[in-house]
Amino acid sequence: MLARRARGRRSMFRLAAVTLLVGLIITALLTTVSHDVFLRNEHRLLRLRIRDAAALVTTAVPSVQTPLASVAELADATGGSKAKFRAFAAAYVGAHGEFASLSIWDLAHPSRRPVAFVGAPPQLATLPGLIPSFLQRVERSTTLGVIGLLNPSDSRLGYGYSTPGRGRYAAYAEAALPRNRYAPVQKGSPFAGMRYALYLAQAKPADLLATDVHSLPLSGEVTQRVPFGDSTFVVTMAAQASLAGVLPQELPWIILVGGVLLSLAAAAGAVRLIERRVSAESLAGELEVVAQENRQLYAEQRSIAQTLQHALLPEELPQTQVLQTAGRYVAGERSVDIGGDWYDVITLDQGSVLVVVGDVSGRGLRAATTMASLRFAIQAYAAEESRPEEILRKLSGLLSVTRHSQLATTLCARIDVEPRQVSVASAGHLPPLLLADGKAWFLEVPVGVPVGVDPRPDYSSVTVPVPAGATLLAFTDGLVERRKEQIDAGLERLRNTALRTELALPDLLSKLVADLTAGEAKDDIAIVGLRWKS
Amino acid sequence: MEELEAESLLTVEVAARNDDTLSVRLVGELDLSNVERLEAEVAPTLAQHPKRLVVEAGGLEFADSSAIALWLRWSREVDRFELRELSPLLRRVLTAMGLDGRMELGA
Repeated sequence: MLARRARGRRSMFRLAAVTLLVGLIITALLTTVSHDVFLRNEHRLLRLRIRDAAALVTTAVPSVQTPLASVAELADATGGSKAKFRAFAAAYVGAHGEFASLSIWDLAHPSRRPVAFVGAPPQLATLPGLIPSFLQRVERSTTLGVIGLLNPSDSRLGYGYSTPGRGRYAAYAEAALPRNRYAPVQKGSPFAGMRYALYLAQAKPADLLATDVHSLPLSGEVTQRVPFGDSTFVVTMAAQASLAGVLPQELPWIILVGGVLLSLAAAAGAVRLIERRVSAESLAGELEVVAQENRQLYAEQRSIAQTLQHALLPEELPQTQVLQTAGRYVAGERSVDIGGDWYDVITLDQGSVLVVVGDVSGRGLRAATTMASLRFAIQAYAAEESRPEEILRKLSGLLSVTRHSQLATTLCARIDVEPRQVSVASAGHLPPLLLADGKAWFLEVPVGVPVGVDPRPDYSSVTVPVPAGATLLAFTDGLVERRKEQIDAGLERLRNTALRTELALPDLLSKLVADLTAGEAKDDIAIVGLRWKS
Repeated sequence: MEELEAESLLTVEVAARNDDTLSVRLVGELDLSNVERLEAEVAPTLAQHPKRLVVEAGGLEFADSSAIALWLRWSREVDRFELRELSPLLRRVLTAMGLDGRMELGA
């Protein structure tokens, strides 16, 4: 049983571990998948946002190009009139304008100085090395020329424009970049919650135009190049928080934590289930041991009862020259107790014998002691009295149903040899069967009350002559009785079976018991047989 | 194994009637396995000395000699003891035991 328990425990832990492992694997897969879905979704959303941002940057081109185109047209039309230029350009420069500096340059006489300017002096003028190539770009380009003047102390972005093909003058504007390139996204803007960086041409620190973070690059950034005039801006963006919302972001974590908890719960459930099974198995095992012990006790008790029973029954029956006798006692299937059935054959004078069969009601030691005292009393009475009815009458003084709660049915038959006859008296007992000349019949015996019912009952006997070779069988009701069946049916069964069976006396008794009980006696059976050899 | 402790099935209804009669209705099988229980169930009412004891045995399918011993004892404790509706099977048992004259057998 210990081995079984250990086996159970091992299999218990194995199953729990497997359950936990499977649960964790499923959890990991789901977590990974949901995280992957989340990331892809975030990336997709971020792409959409950066496309919006790029569109926004693109729309800025006309807002820069339009005033410059107007300035260039005006300068061409007025032959580079400084006064006209200043009057027109003032609105675009300064605190309310979008430019820090606006100027016109003569493309026909390229010099290092502008024709005129409003606002701050153009920084381009301080960088003579850049001027010719930039003006050349502007003159050739049909669109806005863009140049980064990324002087750390005063960074500006320069835009140049000349009327394509025929312009003599170029309009040039400079917009100040935010201090330290730092420009936070305004609250309420469609891009609130986003991190960004804007570069000119290349996504490298030297080209940085503006950002809302203090350290670059952004983590998880996406990049989009945006054509701007004859140049290109590079926008990078990252989301500050999940773009899809809190739930999709937390979902992998929820799945992870929930999955781990569920796996643990499932493993614990498996352990509990197996524990219950193991304890049920061990209980069944213990019950089996108890049942085994009970069976053994039962067998022991039964064998003790049978030993005692046989001690109380005659060890050997008397045999005479003329009379053969045999007896059988069979304990009922259910009896662990000693029973109250008995038989006896007592030698009388002149070759006669007294055959007795009786059945004390109840079971156990009390029934057995009553049986023994009745049996020995009959032996004593038989020494001085051979009339069966008298023996039964005397016997009735020994037992009282009122005092002992017991009664005993008893059959007493005196067997004579010369003449060959039988005298039978019955105290409530079933009649004996006589077999002779191929016939079998029950003797019609006057039945008196069982011993114990009446202290001074009247019994009478019947005397029947018997043919040579006849057999007399006396028995207790266990041989013929079946519940829910008329007793006469059982008697008839015995008669028919006996009639069919021609065997030596001891074998006849064994055969009758075996046939009538189908090998399984419910009740105790006592049977005694007697055969006249001549 | 089970048969060792198993009682045969028997239902007992004990009723003390106004006319000083104790009625005991038995249904099932009465034998050694349950005869003591029956005796114990009837004993308290029997201790009040009813004049008559009627055993309603219409539903009784089996009775062994220990049952019959109990009936005989009961019959000594009352003025009148009656076994009613006893089945032919059980009547035959009483006859075989020579007790048919000793007990009043009602219809």
